[in-house]
Amino acid sequence: MQDVWVNGTAMMQTGRHYNLNIDEMAARVLDEALKDAGYPELDALFVASATAEQADKQQMLGAYIASRLGLDKIATYRVENADGSGGSALMAAAMAVRSGLYNCVAVVGVDKPNDVLSNQQQDIYSTATDSVYERYFGVTPAAQAALMAKMYLAKYEYKYEDLALWPVLMHKYGASNPYAYIRKQAKVEDVLDSELVSDPLRLYDVGPMADGAAAAVLCSRKGVAKVLGMWSSTNAVPFNARQEYDVLYSAREAAERAYRMAGVTPRDVATAEVHDSYSILGVLAVEALGLAPRGGLLASLRSGAEVRVNLSGGLKSRGNVMGATGVYQAVEVVWQLIGRGPFKRVDGSIGVVHSMGGVDRTSTVVVLGL
Amino acid sequence: MEHESVPLYWRNIPSYYRLVAKRCRKCGEVYYPPAVKCPKCGSAELEDFQLPHEGELVEFTVLRSVPTDFLKQKPLVIGLVKLGPVKVLGQIVDAAPEKLKAGQKMEVVFRRVVVDGKYGLVMYGYKFRPRP
Repeated sequence: MQDVWVNGTAMMQTGRHYNLNIDEMAARVLDEALKDAGYPELDALFVASATAEQADKQQMLGAYIASRLGLDKIATYRVENADGSGGSALMAAAMAVRSGLYNCVAVVGVDKPNDVLSNQQQDIYSTATDSVYERYFGVTPAAQAALMAKMYLAKYEYKYEDLALWPVLMHKYGASNPYAYIRKQAKVEDVLDSELVSDPLRLYDVGPMADGAAAAVLCSRKGVAKVLGMWSSTNAVPFNARQEYDVLYSAREAAERAYRMAGVTPRDVATAEVHDSYSILGVLAVEALGLAPRGGLLASLRSGAEVRVNLSGGLKSRGNVMGATGVYQAVEVVWQLIGRGPFKRVDGSIGVVHSMGGVDRTSTVVVLGL
Repeated sequence: MEHESVPLYWRNIPSYYRLVAKRCRKCGEVYYPPAVKCPKCGSAELEDFQLPHEGELVEFTVLRSVPTDFLKQKPLVIGLVKLGPVKVLGQIVDAAPEKLKAGQKMEVVFRRVVVDGKYGLVMYGYKFRPRP
């Protein structure tokens, strides 16, 4: 089996890119990542996108991105796992190199949810729930996250004010990330004053949908960071049939297996980017990754402990770039490990990416090291 | 969201109208949504199982940001209701959210769910309401 190294990375600021088509946007970022890697000979392109068909009416995105750059005679693959597409594509790309079939591949995550109106975004995002048994009745990921938040807060005897500390932390980190969608600090009062989306969750608990593209070039030859471990897991239990609503089963399983493969423990983790599409899911992800005891993260936040997770600002502040999110997270973790701007080098050599599709439907965890 | 597909609706009528779940003939476990193979014991012998139409509320939330089909009905009260051996996720109607409480008795009602504006397809299904 071949080693898998990150050779090149690139991302663009998330936001509303009305002036760019989805394939153009991806091609620009991909070219930057290829340049960063020294333009290696590419065997394949893995594309992560969740909304291309629905928001941009485009299938077979890989072929069109490749053609914008004249990347001829390469294989193109599209990986879709809703807002967890990025992690899944990253995993597929890394597997392809690890297997020895390819020597150099690129993964590009791209989505343009702002090519449709916000209610249509709800239509698209709700297709990440069970279309027949959940979406049909008006259920959205927000409603599911809200139910989990209610049950988590009740079980561990927290108040909503405790949960509000997560968005405050994300805004603090996102404020200094020039690639983030929302670059301003927030106070607990801002969170409490924001409108209810699905009680107890308020607007500040929701990662705003943002357009964006990020790319990474993975090769068997030595690069700036190495893929030490990776695993994907689905939680097959329907939302309505869950035993417990305060744990992300898919994230826990993926993390345990990825740590084992990498030969690391949560204590070795210097930085992590987790999928906080809703603040409660960020809290549960940190706990599922073993970076805080179950039910204990909000108590640490309340006591003022420094929680160095989502230095990018997370989905809350960097933005929910849907299928591109997991690729953003990987680029962010690499830049944090090597101290590439705008991120300062973290104290340690192990970083973790947690990418999740829907509300605990599927998770990918990738362990990166220097 | 445009629906257009009649079969997509029609084939799910047993679930939407009558809450038909699946029960494993071997181990007795009940699944909703219906499973194709018993996740617990692996048996492929599953039979239809009619869920009871009365149960109790596990938890609920008032959803204010809704998909386009539900704009006229917003906010939606989304609840998790225990019906016999399983929990079911769905809308709660005929209730003031501030008076709803976990653990209270609920019943299943038959209601209109979505009207497709373009083709006039009216689609129905179950919702829940507090038991009087």
